[in-house]
Amino acid sequence: MTLLYKFIYWNYRATSGLWHWARRRFTRAGLCVAVALMVTGAIGADIENTESYQSFVLLLALLLFAFACSFRFSGKFSATRILPRVGTAGQPLPYRVVVKNLTPKIQAGLTLLDNLADPRPSFADWFGFQRAEGRRSRPFRFSSTRSKNPFRLANLSEAEIPPLPAKSDGEVRLELFPLRRGVLNFSGVTIARPDPLGLFRAFIKIPAPQKVLILPKRYALPDLTLPGAVRFQQGGVALATNVGSSEEFVALRDYRHGDPLRHIHWRSWAKTGKPIVKEYEDEFFVRHALVLDTFDDEPNSDVLEEAVSVAASFACTILTQESLLDLLFVGNQSYCFTAGRGLAHADQMLEILASVKNCADKKFETLEQLVLKHSTDVSGCICVLQRWDEARKSLVEKLKMLGVPLLLLVIVPRGEKPADTLETLHVLEVGKIEEGLAKLK
Amino acid sequence: MKTPPFLLFAALLFWGWLSDFLIVGASLGALLEISRVVKLRWELDDTDFNRIWSFCVLLNIVLVGYVFTNNDEGGINAMLHGNTASAAAKSTVLTAIRFLRWLPLTTFAFLLAQAFNARPSVPLTAVSLVLRWRRRQGDRAFAGRYVDLSYPYFFVCVFAAGIHTNTGARIYFFGQCLLLGWALWVNRSRRFGIVSWLLALAVALPLGVAGMTGFNRMQGVIQNFNAQWISYFIRQRTDPLQSLTSMGRIGQLKLSAKIVIRLEPHQPGDAPTYLREASYRNYAAQKMTWYAGGGLKEFQPLAAETDETTWNLLAGKKVSSRVNIACYLNGWSRELEEPEGLLPLPGGCARLENVPPYMVLKVNPNGAVLAAGRGFLMFDALSGRGATLDAPPDERSTNRYDLAVPPNEIPALQQVIAEMQLPADAGDAEKRRRAEKFFSEKFSYSTWQGAEKRVTTNASPLTKFLLTSRSGHCEFFASATVLLLRQLDIPARYAVGYSVHETRGSGFVVRERDAHAWCLAWNRATKTWEDFDTTPASWVAIESQRTAGEEWLADVRSWLAFQFAKFRWRQAQFQQYIFWSLIPVMLVLLYFIIFRRRGKLWSRKNKTSSAAIIWPGLDSEFYALEKKLAARGLPRQTGEPLADWLERALAEPGLQDLRSPLRELLRLHYAYRFDPSGLNVEKRQQLKNEAAALLGKISAASAARNVTPSKNNSAASR
Repeated sequence: MTLLYKFIYWNYRATSGLWHWARRRFTRAGLCVAVALMVTGAIGADIENTESYQSFVLLLALLLFAFACSFRFSGKFSATRILPRVGTAGQPLPYRVVVKNLTPKIQAGLTLLDNLADPRPSFADWFGFQRAEGRRSRPFRFSSTRSKNPFRLANLSEAEIPPLPAKSDGEVRLELFPLRRGVLNFSGVTIARPDPLGLFRAFIKIPAPQKVLILPKRYALPDLTLPGAVRFQQGGVALATNVGSSEEFVALRDYRHGDPLRHIHWRSWAKTGKPIVKEYEDEFFVRHALVLDTFDDEPNSDVLEEAVSVAASFACTILTQESLLDLLFVGNQSYCFTAGRGLAHADQMLEILASVKNCADKKFETLEQLVLKHSTDVSGCICVLQRWDEARKSLVEKLKMLGVPLLLLVIVPRGEKPADTLETLHVLEVGKIEEGLAKLK
Repeated sequence: MKTPPFLLFAALLFWGWLSDFLIVGASLGALLEISRVVKLRWELDDTDFNRIWSFCVLLNIVLVGYVFTNNDEGGINAMLHGNTASAAAKSTVLTAIRFLRWLPLTTFAFLLAQAFNARPSVPLTAVSLVLRWRRRQGDRAFAGRYVDLSYPYFFVCVFAAGIHTNTGARIYFFGQCLLLGWALWVNRSRRFGIVSWLLALAVALPLGVAGMTGFNRMQGVIQNFNAQWISYFIRQRTDPLQSLTSMGRIGQLKLSAKIVIRLEPHQPGDAPTYLREASYRNYAAQKMTWYAGGGLKEFQPLAAETDETTWNLLAGKKVSSRVNIACYLNGWSRELEEPEGLLPLPGGCARLENVPPYMVLKVNPNGAVLAAGRGFLMFDALSGRGATLDAPPDERSTNRYDLAVPPNEIPALQQVIAEMQLPADAGDAEKRRRAEKFFSEKFSYSTWQGAEKRVTTNASPLTKFLLTSRSGHCEFFASATVLLLRQLDIPARYAVGYSVHETRGSGFVVRERDAHAWCLAWNRATKTWEDFDTTPASWVAIESQRTAGEEWLADVRSWLAFQFAKFRWRQAQFQQYIFWSLIPVMLVLLYFIIFRRRGKLWSRKNKTSSAAIIWPGLDSEFYALEKKLAARGLPRQTGEPLADWLERALAEPGLQDLRSPLRELLRLHYAYRFDPSGLNVEKRQQLKNEAAALLGKISAASAARNVTPSKNNSAASR
């Protein structure tokens, strides 16, 4: 079976590579001619009843000539890409490339194509995706839609280079459309020149490696009343901007070992004969935990991507309020990032979320331990879950028993619903996430 | 990419010219070009394009269906009947060719919609059912993506122009060069000048011409090489000129249970024992093949009677039985370009009646009737004892074909004759009786061709059959009998056809496995040819034993094929109306496709109105007041706000006292109707009570107003 999958995988690699090559090498007219060549090749086999073979040979001759012309393209160029630091999945990302003509003659009629690093997955990743697809979709059923290609990271546009005079440069505006979050690696740029018939292009590749971080897609959230409220806690918020106690005097009490000397109320000590300290009201902030469930066999599944997007939406919204946010998730190890109140900005939180990967080698209990460990520090917990099974239910039960207010969000695949549900559980269906979030109160 | 002016016109003109649709092509092209001049545009949305595309697809499907069922090769009829692979292939090719040739016409509506649309492109989701379905599923990846189909349509026109019989002319080649050159010129790179472009074309075109010449030569070589190979796949049918026997072949002879002929005798006793297709005279022992002894030129055309449906084969002969025969003609006449085949006829057939018109019938001296004109035939065959269509034996000629025996078979035959112990003075009748007895006693029927029957350098299969194995199938018996009779100086011929024995309802069915060979022996006394079959009668039982369990399934398929063939070849009377019946069907479909939206809107409106009754406040009692006041002659205009209308109504002096309470009631009504928090229970009750009270007051005021004039009237009368 693995052999068969390997065969399919290499076929997929070859086919997608060929398609990528054809789309870049052929002009639009060239693609039309290539498709027409295939059609006439099929029809033209019947030489008695049709004369399509004449079209076939003519188109073949045109393409062969165009192909032969692509072998010679003398030109020297340099290119510098001017990229923003980050982009957002699903949002166009405009950028510029400065191309310099290093030859002593004018260069016109050229096209600039940007090159991304080969996005084709390794066999293991591809196999994982196929297995997940097999579980998800039932054969011979149209109703089960296949996921979009998760390995395609971005759509790139191409642009015409303005005529470049000798030894001078020009600027080309390009647009990138990131499809998924993560790091996008550019390998270089390509200068393309069509043949005289305008069918096939000759290439000059210029190495220009660069990276851009694509942040997760975010959704607009309604005005939310987050779970939990301001409350007094022993210990205070060590990580707040004003660390320590506020100036609000509450009471006097006996000195305990470790109390700062400046809190000693000298007059009371004088009256009572034992050290008395002033007690101030501790200053606390609302501190939320944002729990992200990353436990999925499939890398870059739609559900995981949407879960990350939902988490990113909460991160952006909560961090504009006067509160702290702990992002809890499990990747290679258990992670806890705290942001807000001058600690870290939403951007940094988004950058972390941009790099979140699925966790296939650990159990959900790892996340449970992490969350329970932090449960005493937080005033509320937002859980973004990928499914609603016994392990997740157990975590929720435990948090409830600890009295932690919860906002539970479960992302489900398109057209599915969890078998049983809670009143406080919000089910968000892939493809209708925004509608689901809008219903939150 | 939009095509330059007149390119599509030229392409359609080119297509029309080469496809014999010149006027159609020119008209379509002109319609498209008009869109560049006329500024009127449709505001078609994605749904409209979906519908137009669906219509085009439907049109194409109907067209394919119609062409496939009606093409000269029999189309679906050939498929159902399980006719030759070559017929099915030819039918498919014919269908594809006609479909492709008409493609510019059948997809024109879509391009016209694009040309006259405000946005000169079509949604990508319209042209792909998969994308359309994915969009319905919520996939927005292709939403808002539009394509211009001008160039694809241009290519369709150019290639459709090449879908016609290859005559070797170069018109198509140079025409497409011109059109493609035009299209490429418009899309050429501005990096190169005109000279470079022309030079490039000057290099590429000769390359194309050279390729075309090479292609022609290569195809010729392949075609010649493949001629025999392809013929292997063509199903055997009865050849009027020769009959290749299976004698000498090794293994089990397998013939299918497919029903090939159906008979319906007019009287119970009218069914013939045999249906003969052809008879042969010359036996070539080396090839184990029987030859008719003449070419196709031997076939002489017959003339139909004036009614075009009756054919007299033997004029003046008395007929005693009539049987209706339905059969398929599986061959193809290159001369007439029509289906062709030999008619299976009862012995002594003298007249054919109810033959479909426009058939061509020919007969040869061996009594074979060759019919051409349609792939399926139903007719009445009238026959009687006595004379047949066969020419008398050539006993007096030098060749003496009907008495010829291959020299290598003579020793075996003489040995057999010796074994038969014929008296020296035995007449023809006695010889035949002895021969029949000899075969029935000493020979058995078998379809198994063992190695002992294989031809060797020492003995032919027939010799082995006569002397050693003494077991074989009907071809052995028939061939051996013919040669034996000839050796005994009785003119004889080898006949092939079918044995009729399986009843089905009131008629008979003949399967492919009922194919049979027997002997025709000349009766010198009656001067007629008589059927003489020495194959043991057990052959029918043996063949029937091989009946497969799923034969009923094959019979159902055969019945379907038979019914369809009747319809297809106009033996069912309504066939000629099928094309016309398609037109209203298509019109109805078009109506539903184009005007369905109205239905949708209508239903949506209905849904809206039904949903509206649950809106809050519609049960307000104020509406009763409104009705009451309207009845009083103060109706509210359409779209007039209640407040405006009420002020207008309150201007009436009769309602002067009610102004204040009515305004207060309107305020309550508005709160009930539009305030998101609605009315509390008390206010709601207040609205109800006050409305009831005001209704009473208005009624009283109205009654008073009506009474006052009547009193005045009575006073005046006094």
